[in-house]
Amino acid sequence: MTGWEGLLFGIGFVLQPAVLVYCLLGVVLGTFVGVLPGIGAMAAISLLLPVTFYITPEAALIMLAGVYYGAQYGGAVASILLRLPGTPQSAVTTLDGYPMARDGRAGVALFTAMASSFAGSVIGIVVLVMLAGWLSRAATAFGAADYAAMMILGLVAASTIGTTRPAKGFAMVTLGLLLGCVGTDVNSGAQRFTFGQTELLDGINLVALAMGLFGVAEVIANVRDPDRKGVAERIGLRQLMPRRDDLRRMGGPILRGGGLGSFFGALPGTGSTLSSFLSYSMERRIARQPERFGNGAVEGVAGPESANNAAAITAFAPTLTLGIPGDPIMALMLGALVIHGIQPGPMMLEARPEMFWGLVASFGIGNLLLLVLNLPLIGLWVAMLRIPFNYLYPAILVFLCLGVYSVRGLGFDIYAVALIGLAGYLLALAKFSPALLLLGFVLGPLIETNLRRALLISRGDPMVFLERPIAAGFVIATAVLLLLPLWRMLRNGKGRAGGTRQPGQR
Amino acid sequence: MQRDWPDLLGGLALAALGIGAAGWAVAHYSLGSLRQMGPGFFPAALGFALFVLGLIVALPALRRTADAPKVEPASALAVLGAILVFGLGLYRLGLVGATLAAVLVASIPAPRKGWVWRLVLAGVITVLTVTVFSIGLRMTLPLWPRLS
Repeated sequence: MTGWEGLLFGIGFVLQPAVLVYCLLGVVLGTFVGVLPGIGAMAAISLLLPVTFYITPEAALIMLAGVYYGAQYGGAVASILLRLPGTPQSAVTTLDGYPMARDGRAGVALFTAMASSFAGSVIGIVVLVMLAGWLSRAATAFGAADYAAMMILGLVAASTIGTTRPAKGFAMVTLGLLLGCVGTDVNSGAQRFTFGQTELLDGINLVALAMGLFGVAEVIANVRDPDRKGVAERIGLRQLMPRRDDLRRMGGPILRGGGLGSFFGALPGTGSTLSSFLSYSMERRIARQPERFGNGAVEGVAGPESANNAAAITAFAPTLTLGIPGDPIMALMLGALVIHGIQPGPMMLEARPEMFWGLVASFGIGNLLLLVLNLPLIGLWVAMLRIPFNYLYPAILVFLCLGVYSVRGLGFDIYAVALIGLAGYLLALAKFSPALLLLGFVLGPLIETNLRRALLISRGDPMVFLERPIAAGFVIATAVLLLLPLWRMLRNGKGRAGGTRQPGQR
Repeated sequence: MQRDWPDLLGGLALAALGIGAAGWAVAHYSLGSLRQMGPGFFPAALGFALFVLGLIVALPALRRTADAPKVEPASALAVLGAILVFGLGLYRLGLVGATLAAVLVASIPAPRKGWVWRLVLAGVITVLTVTVFSIGLRMTLPLWPRLS
């Protein structure tokens, strides 16, 4: 099946009512959590993981993906109206979106964000369709050593790129890898770190880990947040209309942002937050009047919003064709598929075309739904911003407990959430990234299996990682990433490692 | 400004966890060789790496100051307490009792004063929970407290 045939097939699949309803549910829920500051897409996806046991794996993946990109639309709303980024990806949107709102042009800023997000997603889909076929063909040449090297590159990239303290990132990834060892070892059957608890034989429950690290920790941090009511004003449809001048300024940033986002989204370890920051700094650098940025430049909203949506879509390419998640949210998606008994890999396009092409088509349809629904519903989302967190978080907690419990029907998992939640809260306080822990946790068993297999095939010779061209490429890239911060640190003087401007990763 | 406690304590805790895990893995699982790795090889290597990384995070923090993070012990206690109450109560109090109790515990640190809204909220969430999970998703859970 070629790309465009596949896309048509996928559109037919998604338009079935039983699938479409979950696509709609996903994007609406995603916008909702994106609008609410404090609850990110990670928490929302982990909350919804148990719900997906009741539906088909295709619908589940489509719904979870909808939550992910829906949250980016919602995040932009909170960023523009209140200067509170609902999601980390939309933090950069506050820089120019909020000044626009202060000038009474909130409606135009919202329109720009939504139109750019939609355009970015279209660019992302085109790139994904081209990339997926190529990647799944290339993947047949991948051996165990190549997989192991690529995953290690992903982990190193995720913990070094865009952070000021790589050591803390590495520590979290390593802790995640170590937690991934808990349970029965697949190769030898040995029970590792189970301490006689039968509940741990299958390892730490991914849902409990994700909910504890994100759901519980985020709730604790936001309980005493001051009320946010009465800040944002009402916005009617008429205020959304941009001037001709605004439209003219949007085109270039959208195209450049979409291209940038598509590229970085598909790379392991980078992802959508980084690409929106890169797009912003690129737009500012090439602008004729850079001083307009930060004072309500349309380009500063259009570029990043296009970039983060494109990146959110192309990030699925390595996840689905190689079975290797590039960022923590993709790790959660992969975890969801594994719970459903599906291991994504090079055969995915052939073996489950409805899942792959259905998902690709759902991106287009979901983004269209978001565009069509959110422009008229903007008043509703503004009203959502006024719900005090008082009323929400006790419900979130109860749903979270029942969600975890429903996975295996074990009270043990509820207590595990409390313990993991405490750990997650402490980690967040000390500014250790729980998202990197989760990425390590999901990749851990995959890395260990491929590493052991690679060394078994090479009879214990570690040179296999340099002899195979694909693996050697990943090893060299990893080495560059590791040496770059060291070099920069030496040049800038001791202890002042430079880093790109970016808020803490989730 | 004060000493950078988060990095110091966090790094040391991770280092301790790492060396503990490595020691446990070496003592209890076979390491094998590079060619035929045993179940202990990967965890032992990771544990040691975590030990080193923990020290790399902790040691520079000795000579550095940082802003103290804003800790919310009351929120943390209430939220974690609510989860434990729910877990313990699910079989003894039933879904209705456990939800009511968990919501009341969770809402203790909420900034809004008064108790009427807390009771109403607990009632509303209980109705929602029973509708979604017991009726909607057909989860088999005891609804009411066990009398015997």
